[in-house]
Amino acid sequence: MTDVAALDNRPVANSYLATALDDHDDAHGGHRTSLGLSNMKLAMWLFLGSECLLFGALISTYLLSKARFVTEVVAGNPLVTSTMPAELIQEFAESQSVEPMYDIPFTSASSFILLMSSLTMVLAHKATVEDNGQNKIWLSATALLGSIFIAGQVYEFTAFYREGLTYTGNLFGSAFYTLTGFHGAHVTGGILMLLSLVYMAFRGKLRSDRAETVELVGLYWHFVDIVWVLIFTIVYLIP
Amino acid sequence: MAIIEEPLALPEGTSTKVERPLGAYTRPRNPAGLVNWLTTVDHKKIGIMYGTAALFFLVIGGVAALLIRIQLAVPDSQFLSADAYNQIFTMHGTVMIFLVVMPVGAAFANYLLPLQVGARDVAFPRINAFSFWIFFFGGLMLNTSWFLGGGADGGWFNYAPNNGIAYSPTPGIDFWNIGLLIVGIGSLTGSVNLITTVLNMRAPGMSMMKVPVFTWMTLVTQFLLLLAIPVLTVAQVLLSTDRLFGANFFNVEQGADPLLWQHLFWIFGHPEVYLMILPAFGIVSEVIPTFARKPIFGYPFMVFSGIAIGFMGFGVWAHHMFVAGIGPLSVTAFTLATMFIAVPTGVKILNWLATLWGGRLTLNTPMLFAIALVTQFTIGGLSGVSHSLAAHDTQQTDTYYIVAHFHYVLFGGAFFGFVAGMYFWWPKAFGYKLNDKIGKVHFWTMVVGFNLTFGPQHILGLQGMPRRMHTYADAQGFNLWNAVSTFGSFILGIGTLMVLFNAAVSYRNWRAAARPDVGPDPWDSRSLEWSIQSPTPEHNFDVDPVVTQLDDFWHRKYQKDENGTLRQVHTGDEIAQPGNGEGVHLPAPSYWPIMLAFSIPILGYGLIFNLWLIVPAVILMLVALYGWALEPADDLDIDDHHDHDHELETV
Amino acid sequence: MGSRSDHSTVAVSRRRFGRPAVKAALVSTLVLILAACSDDKPLNTFEPRGPKAEAIDNLMMPIWYVMGVVFLAVVGGGIVLSIRNRVKDEDFDPNDLPEQIHGNTKVELTWTILPAVILAVIAIPVVNTIWFLEETNEPDELDVMVIGQQWWWEFRYDVDGDGFIIDANGDGEVNDDDWELPVQFILDPDDVATANEMVVPAGEQVDLVLTSRDVIHSFWIPRLNGKRDTVPGRWHTWSLEADNPGKYVGWCTEYCGLSHARMRMSVIALEPADYQAWFENQQQQAEVPTDEEALAGRTVFQNQCISCHVIDDGELEYPDDYASNVPLASRAAPNLTHFATRTTFAGSIFSVYEGEGTTAADDALEVSDYLQIPELAKTPETRDDYRLNTALLKQWVANAPGLKAMSSDVDPETGVGRGMLAFPQLTDEELDQVVAYLATLD
Repeated sequence: MTDVAALDNRPVANSYLATALDDHDDAHGGHRTSLGLSNMKLAMWLFLGSECLLFGALISTYLLSKARFVTEVVAGNPLVTSTMPAELIQEFAESQSVEPMYDIPFTSASSFILLMSSLTMVLAHKATVEDNGQNKIWLSATALLGSIFIAGQVYEFTAFYREGLTYTGNLFGSAFYTLTGFHGAHVTGGILMLLSLVYMAFRGKLRSDRAETVELVGLYWHFVDIVWVLIFTIVYLIP
Repeated sequence: MAIIEEPLALPEGTSTKVERPLGAYTRPRNPAGLVNWLTTVDHKKIGIMYGTAALFFLVIGGVAALLIRIQLAVPDSQFLSADAYNQIFTMHGTVMIFLVVMPVGAAFANYLLPLQVGARDVAFPRINAFSFWIFFFGGLMLNTSWFLGGGADGGWFNYAPNNGIAYSPTPGIDFWNIGLLIVGIGSLTGSVNLITTVLNMRAPGMSMMKVPVFTWMTLVTQFLLLLAIPVLTVAQVLLSTDRLFGANFFNVEQGADPLLWQHLFWIFGHPEVYLMILPAFGIVSEVIPTFARKPIFGYPFMVFSGIAIGFMGFGVWAHHMFVAGIGPLSVTAFTLATMFIAVPTGVKILNWLATLWGGRLTLNTPMLFAIALVTQFTIGGLSGVSHSLAAHDTQQTDTYYIVAHFHYVLFGGAFFGFVAGMYFWWPKAFGYKLNDKIGKVHFWTMVVGFNLTFGPQHILGLQGMPRRMHTYADAQGFNLWNAVSTFGSFILGIGTLMVLFNAAVSYRNWRAAARPDVGPDPWDSRSLEWSIQSPTPEHNFDVDPVVTQLDDFWHRKYQKDENGTLRQVHTGDEIAQPGNGEGVHLPAPSYWPIMLAFSIPILGYGLIFNLWLIVPAVILMLVALYGWALEPADDLDIDDHHDHDHELETV
Repeated sequence: MGSRSDHSTVAVSRRRFGRPAVKAALVSTLVLILAACSDDKPLNTFEPRGPKAEAIDNLMMPIWYVMGVVFLAVVGGGIVLSIRNRVKDEDFDPNDLPEQIHGNTKVELTWTILPAVILAVIAIPVVNTIWFLEETNEPDELDVMVIGQQWWWEFRYDVDGDGFIIDANGDGEVNDDDWELPVQFILDPDDVATANEMVVPAGEQVDLVLTSRDVIHSFWIPRLNGKRDTVPGRWHTWSLEADNPGKYVGWCTEYCGLSHARMRMSVIALEPADYQAWFENQQQQAEVPTDEEALAGRTVFQNQCISCHVIDDGELEYPDDYASNVPLASRAAPNLTHFATRTTFAGSIFSVYEGEGTTAADDALEVSDYLQIPELAKTPETRDDYRLNTALLKQWVANAPGLKAMSSDVDPETGVGRGMLAFPQLTDEELDQVVAYLATLD
């Protein structure tokens, strides 16, 4: 473009053309990234970092709301106590917590199932890397285990609703359903991704060259599991 | 760029089964005009669209500002009703923050980050387009509330429980919630995209400590967005469920604590303040060294003070709540944390001054605006220190002193920085310089108008005038300075409009002069974006620039001669890349980002007005999502090879 | 009322530092302007009239100096450097390069550490003042309860020493649990309740406990202390003290909806003896008027007003669950038992009395005749100087939303309104009667 360069048709010594690396291979083969980590994986980690704050805020909201609810029940606020059956309120007031609501063994079982799905997810990734054709089995198993967890959550929500805990009734109901519901929505999103992978796997399109795709879904899935461990501990186990 | 490598070398004439997901559907191909802009995934065009959209929203926010000032010009004014005033000041703040200052930052980030790190585009070009369109549609949706029952009327921080359905029964706050949730999606995807670009797509040899300060500051900004937006999202989801579905998060009679909203909002809101100012800090850190012909003083200190501001920004949120009753212990802790955030900010200001020290200054328009940022922001910073002291804050908070403070920070700081950046990078983006004479008139009009508008508000605040008052009484003694402030605001309004005037005149003169080439490096600048032609070629770089040091481009132009004296050995024009894009492969445009972005506000209208609207919205969304997922990033019909597969971008 | 406590242990002294001289010496034009114009600025933060506000002011002054120096250094430095180092376009030479200084670690460390040290020094009085402002006389014994609601202030004074609240949950004692309940259930109906004008004794620290009935408001009397938010569902403590008798005005400072700008209040500090007289009068029930017109007004009140307002004369009848069934979002309207003893109404935006003897709501510091005003308004010789603002009161009763923006139409969804309803059904004669009745409430 410049006169000098045009005249002798050679790049000036200091110009970027003169110092460019010969990256012809690069253009077709592997892509250089500054961190040596693929963009997609980096992006997934960043997204999960953001999700941490999302769940952090939701869990804080739940903790505060539950504490306020219990305080009001103990204090005997008639506007709060009238939102649930009297005997349940009585139990809450006596235990000074919402623990009587929970069926710990049931939720422990469904939590265990969700945790196991992390194992099958790892196996699915391994099978994809090894390209041994078993990834469809493990991916399906992961999606299935996730679905069982969701079914358990739906059952639990129904049971709570019958016992008198509604979304709009009181603070605890709003906070409980919102927190666990947000997590459930995340699991559901994960199941949809897994099903897409299962579909690809059955069409033979999920070979070892796409192992990273499985890994990315796996990262998300493990994150959702870890969040559940936190939620289970905070919501169900700590009085 | 590519995630899943799938080399697909197709021999000429061989019929290969190419995935064509929607049969007859073809993607936009080398389109022109409007379709080009709607479907582009080029980070430069997206940057320009961010800027244009922000200018559009600036007009809305600016008109709101002038209405506020007209109302307050005289005591007991009847110009606006209390209701109208409350909507206008709420929307003024919301629009200016979320739809003007943040997107202008995004405009500069989009245009410049890939150029400054030597990349051909951002990491995920289609997500980039999506980020813009969802911001734009979300912003439009927010502003349709003016015509659909009234704007939000709770103030930009919208405290509970005044934001509840009982106290604000019009849908304005629902629009505020959902509109900003939608805008927030764009910020989040944008931040992931830009962080990945900076961290992962730097030119060979460009280590993090060789990255220009603007890129660094924007990187910090994007991290703040990444971590702050989800907290706002939670707050707005809670409020939306309260308002739309009868949840109880802010229902005091059920025992809710209204301070929950304040904590959530300000955990977002304070980083928000920094993420608005940091890009402008980055801009002046580019402008000042260029026109002082010196490197930035203390580059590592500039970088680390920016990082420190980012970190500390997450630990000071409760200084917005000094009088909210959080207890003296919390107040003490947050006072101390807030006071010390002045240290890294001060470091920046002193380093800029040190860069001016001994420099050879060219006082053209961008430089003038950059110096204006340094001085005007200092005023805002000092008033900030004064109310970081909680005891002072009990007198100053929620008065016009605060209004003056954050306008000095956001207008005198961020906005002046943006104008400096606009004058500075205009030739890079459009191929001609903005007129410097008009620019200087523009500069003085804005500086005078700005100080006349907001300077008196310091006095009003200390004289006891609270903010958000639709009127005041004659006997309260606020008449004089309110009148001055209103007078100043009109000068400022004229000054702001001169941006458009200058752009129009400069363009006309350039066209009349047969579009002379401004050259790749009109300012004798320092960073990589000046090593390519102006306006920037579509493919950015002909070859990956190899970087050996900070300000690499400048050091290729200036080297020491045998006597050890620094001499110019090349002009920028000589060593710039010629702009030959042959063989460069670019991601193809796509319809899906805009379609996906369009579906989401429909969902929002459904939530507010009629849940049935959700059905078409979800159908549109699914179509767009699957279309996107199944569409390779590159157009197979055009290219002889493709190495970019963004199949998982939607995941 | 609690006694003035000894704050000698507090590092921030209450002593005045010859303040007028300090002010005159200030170089900052900003402060000069403020000082010069402050006489007619009733909310000015630079004119403390009580120890708490003074503590803030004392802390503020030296910091203005520091800020002024930094301001001059940076802004002056920026301008001087710009002018001195300027190279005109025609003199530009690409090879005329300045020394390429990349930084200087020592200098940078200095201007990192030095400001931090300065701030650390400033932090000591700052932290002291924070804790000084929080101090109350006796934590359990609070003097005035402040309740904000859209768009007026209620002030309650404990009578009989039985505390501000009752055993609302019926567990046999007044305890913390009762304080947790919504405010409409717990207030002690025997206490004195007044609106918009808080009367306190001068020279004594008055401890406040604050809450709100609806949204967040903020209680701020700039000349006496900084502000504190009133948050529904929470009880905050705060305090104020006026050195001398006077009227100290304030303004709600947390945005609280439609008529936020029309929500003002004042603190009336009286000599302690006057205060006692006022307090004893407030504890009396209202008298049933003997005047025929006023008596008719009382009937109108009984028929139209008692679903929101209270006048305690021992005979007007209210439903048992009155407090929780008021059709207002706040569930309360001002208690009018001693309406005529107040000088302002409607969130202190209108004067109850007009004439030469009274002054507008915001610019009076003199309160020597405060207790006598109702009497002066009735005495024929002084009636012209102190007359009831009858026309405005009538207008207010007939159409309050026309004078002050309120959304008082009862919301069909929530069943509540915000602010006072309009009463178009009242005839002019009835309005006269109501106002005549209000005038008797002293």
